[in-house]
This record gives sequence, C-alpha cells and structure tokens, in this order.
Amino acid sequence: MSFAIADTCFLIDWSSWRRRNLLFRLFTTVFVPETVLREVESEDVVEWIAGSLASGNLSLFTETPDILGEARHLVERTRLIPRVRGVDIPEAVCLVAGRRRGYTVLTENRGALMAASLLEEYRGVKVWRALEIIYELLRRRLIPAESPAAVFKEYEKETGHIFPKGDLENAVRRL
Amino acid sequence: MQSEDYERKLARWIRLEEEARKIRRSEADWKFIEEQPARVKAALKYYVETGDIRTSSRMAEMSIDRFRKLLRQARIPVIV
Amino acid sequence: MTDIRGWLRLEEEARKIRRSEADWKFIEEQPARVKAALKYYVETGDLYVASRIAGLTVEGFNNLRKRAKIPNVI
Repeated sequence: MSFAIADTCFLIDWSSWRRRNLLFRLFTTVFVPETVLREVESEDVVEWIAGSLASGNLSLFTETPDILGEARHLVERTRLIPRVRGVDIPEAVCLVAGRRRGYTVLTENRGALMAASLLEEYRGVKVWRALEIIYELLRRRLIPAESPAAVFKEYEKETGHIFPKGDLENAVRRL
Repeated sequence: MQSEDYERKLARWIRLEEEARKIRRSEADWKFIEEQPARVKAALKYYVETGDIRTSSRMAEMSIDRFRKLLRQARIPVIV
Repeated sequence: MTDIRGWLRLEEEARKIRRSEADWKFIEEQPARVKAALKYYVETGDLYVASRIAGLTVEGFNNLRKRAKIPNVI
C-alpha cells in the first residue's frame, strides 16, 4: 500500500461516483492539501471529504513553506511553455508532494498531466486520473465487472466526465 | 534545444487540447449558456474554449464544485 | 503508560460523550462546510482539521464548538 495526494478537480468528480470509496482499497491514505480543501463548498462533496477524513481514508496535508515555494516556482515554469495549460497552486502542491514524498498524484487537471509529462524533474511522479484508478481497480478485480467498458461508461455518466477516446480504448484493450 | 521526445509529447498534448475543445463546443447546451447572466455566460464560454475550470469558476464568482455542477447542467463535458 | 488499546478505549469513550452532548439541531442548521466540520469534530475530536473543513481559524471553530455544545474531552 502507498500514499496518494488529490487535487480539487479529482475529488469533486470522483465523489459523485457510486463506487467512490473503492479508492481507499488502493492507498493507505489519500492526502488532501489545505489549499484543495479550501476550494470545496457544496454539501455532498464536503460531507464525503469530512467523513473520509474522520475515517482516516483521507488525511489533511498541511503545506510547509518549502513546498509552497517549489509549487510557486512550478506555477511560473508552466507559464513559460507556450500553448500548454499552466498549473495553479493546488495542483502544483500535489505535484511537488508527489516528487518529494513519492505520493501518487490524483488529478483531473490537464496542466498537471502536462507538467509531469514535459518537465524533467517531475517525470518520475506518478500521476493518475480517474481513468488510471478505475483501470487499477479492474485489474486487481476490486470491481467485479463482466464488461470493463461498462464500468468506465458508468463513471462518465454519473460524473459528467469524459475520458479521451484513445486512452479509454487503450485501457479497455489492456484489460 | 528541446529533444525530439519533448517536441513529440508537446505536439500530442496540443492535439489532445484541440480535440477536447471541439468536443466541448459540440456537446454544450448553447441555449442554456446564452440564457445565463453575463458573468456566468462568459465563464461557461471561457471554459468551453480553454477547459480551465479554476479561472472559469473565478469568473463566475463560484467555487469550483459549484461551477462543476453548472458544467453538468450546461452539458459541457470535462475531458481529461 | 497507556498502551494502544487503552488509547483506543479512551477515544471511543470521548466520541460517545461528544455524540450524546452535542446540540444536533444546531449542527443540522449550519451551512454545509460548518455542519460537516462539526460532525467531523464529534467523531474525531480533531480541532485543527475540523477548523480547516469549516474554513475557520482554530479559535473561531472552538467558539463554534462551544455553541454546538460539543465538549472538548481530554
């Protein structure tokens, strides 16, 4: 078992899925930065987060000055790459924690995915979207599913989140 | 000088961004969008073009999760 | 020195006291974040994290805790 750290966009979408608690079968705990927690307001999302914090499935991650400093630097660096989505502080904190602490970063932020792909010092960071998490749950048979494609479809329907066609086809094929 | 690998990856990300933009444009409920108050309408249109939820939510003066609910109402998919 | 079972027992006793003493009507009437934070506090007694959930300072949340009649059981 290992640790993960989640950003706002991931938590908001993931919390809408009926099988959301399966996430905690994959990680010892999932950290939630304080900057991320501040961005959440609606009742259903906050209730799930608070309940998961109480059970220890989620844990609060308090950013230290050095992490915030590196996150600020990362925000600036991503703004230097033309035509590429920049990151903001909450997802930058997750990437920095991922690099420094070896946490898997859970995000639905395209900028964070790009940064981990393009910037040398963040290439070692494992960054997962819901796509990779569901793939792992299916691979480990933590979701009993006759049709993996149906599970991904279920997620798309319940969250309003669409997986990129090529990535989805690839994931289903590998299963 | 950036490596070929970097350039290839960058080109792929740019292509994915463009594909996602096309899907958001075609799936969106434009009638719903046009009926919204000015700031919200601008924010939804900005999101369709960029996929940048944080800036869009600030434009709409909403939290990210409330704006996310609005995206569902406007049938604008999040594609990641 | 209290071993882990002893600590867990004390935690459970404290949780029961917080649950039974809390003003649940007051809690349910609160806005979403505050309600979630008070419920979190009832379950865990963790003031810092509860204050983060509520978006308040620790002192601010502590005042809220008192208004919700949730005891600080140490």
